[in-house]
Amino acid sequence: MTRRFGGLIAVNEVSFDVTSGEIFGLIGPNGAGKTTMFNLMTGLTPPSSGNLTYEGRNITGLPPYKIAQMGLARTFQNIRLFGNLSALENVKISQHVHTGSGVWAGVLGLGKSKSEEQEVEHNAFELLELVGMGDKAQDKAKNFSYGDQRRLEIARALALKPKVLLLDEPAAGMNPNEKGALSDFIRMVREKFDLTVILIEHHVPLVMGLCDRIAVLNFGQLIALGNPSSVAHDPAVIEAYLGGDE
Amino acid sequence: MPAGAFYGQDPTKQNELATYFPKETVNDFFNQYGFLIVQMMLQALLGLSTYLPLMAGQLSLASPGFYALGGYIAAVISTKVLPVSGMYPVQYLLLEMLIAGVASAVLAVIVGVPALRLRGIYLALATIAFVEILRVVSLNLEITGGAVGIFGIPQPFQNSLAYALLVLPLLLIVMFFVYRLERSRIGRAFIAIREDELAADAMGINPTYHKVLAFVMGAILAGIVGAISAHFLNTWNARQGTFDASINSLAYVLIGGSRTFVGPVMGGLILTALPEILRDLKDLRLIVNGLLLTIGAIYLPQGLITPELFKRGSGRKAGKK
Repeated sequence: MTRRFGGLIAVNEVSFDVTSGEIFGLIGPNGAGKTTMFNLMTGLTPPSSGNLTYEGRNITGLPPYKIAQMGLARTFQNIRLFGNLSALENVKISQHVHTGSGVWAGVLGLGKSKSEEQEVEHNAFELLELVGMGDKAQDKAKNFSYGDQRRLEIARALALKPKVLLLDEPAAGMNPNEKGALSDFIRMVREKFDLTVILIEHHVPLVMGLCDRIAVLNFGQLIALGNPSSVAHDPAVIEAYLGGDE
Repeated sequence: MPAGAFYGQDPTKQNELATYFPKETVNDFFNQYGFLIVQMMLQALLGLSTYLPLMAGQLSLASPGFYALGGYIAAVISTKVLPVSGMYPVQYLLLEMLIAGVASAVLAVIVGVPALRLRGIYLALATIAFVEILRVVSLNLEITGGAVGIFGIPQPFQNSLAYALLVLPLLLIVMFFVYRLERSRIGRAFIAIREDELAADAMGINPTYHKVLAFVMGAILAGIVGAISAHFLNTWNARQGTFDASINSLAYVLIGGSRTFVGPVMGGLILTALPEILRDLKDLRLIVNGLLLTIGAIYLPQGLITPELFKRGSGRKAGKK
């Protein structure tokens, strides 16, 4: 896929496949085009050229909400929670796709809207428990610590019942303990919900220990793709991170 | 006729009352404040019609346009299509409200789909333009009575205060509707879009659909209020749907509070009553009115009523247990 912003080519003919069930890492120096890649994959930015295929269907150019409905859920590098709402409401909102009450059913509590509403609340509490925030359900999202906000974003993404979870720098702002726990947490979530996980991360030990395969981007180009050890010894990767010998 | 006899069976008591409140004063009170009370509730409803699109983060000033449309529909039906001699049947008025609501909804979809591609202040400007277009059109059409408007719209009620029989239940129903909506699936989608449209989009919520839906809800309400107001005010003309009215209904929401439906209701009630309360100040009252609005906007940027106000209340209750 390629994406140009004016004269700048943010992502240049980058192409890769992610196999169902794997944990796929996307790494690279700042400005390499990792988040742009995520935005292309979730429909937030339309590609200048190239195709996005998901489960054999071409989903290039679909609006974000349709891609989300198909089972691709994401978190954001610069956390985008619904800040003025409680943790509980944040997780309730992304169950929208899996519920169907219209205006009147919702307002008058008719039909299945009542049981649906209870289920939404139940699921929301369950997900908050899962990320260890069950006791903070009623607090406003914007008042949480960085680590809690990242966890809440994951809970919100999981509420979409996705098949693919895209995590944009999930460890950013977390302390070393939290980072350690994050690896186990991501593995646990993958097992529990049968997910494919794609993550962008700067923290190298986390990526190396966690990912099945890694793609390395630099200046919008894909410079390496493979399992963690082969990528770590790739001369192009070492050059990108440490600078080449002049 | 002696003054006391007017009031009923017990002349002594009534005489007493009459010495404190001479007959004319009592009548004046109801004539004046009956009108004001109903007007306050109608304006609270208009505040809610601006609040509905704002729930989905859309700053729309189109309410007076739909209000004017609803009023013209009621005025034309009651004076030209179904003219009745004597009291106008209330069921006809209900029918007009229905037609006004449907017509407003249709127009809102036509206007909303393109207009809601705009954001923030640009949407506000586009909706002001919409109100102006409707105003100029109604000034020049024959069916709307041109610049003169439509006169002698028949009355379904005995006096101004009796309109409360219709308007108060409507206000309560709409308040219940919005209260429940805020706690339902669709309402949550609105609020998600208000908080962060892009994040809502990425969470599977179709922003365009829900923004248009919120806009249409506001339009339907404004249209219905217009149909009632046409009868209530007895006459309807192009001065009903103006830029001033847009700003008024926006002020109800901003001064009352834009984060809970109680805000625009309180805003509508208080700001409609305020010029009346300040009547004793005579010429100064408009200046004081404006000053109070400015002070409110500066010192209460969230409005009078905020959601935290209720949370604190319920927190105290929980604490007592």
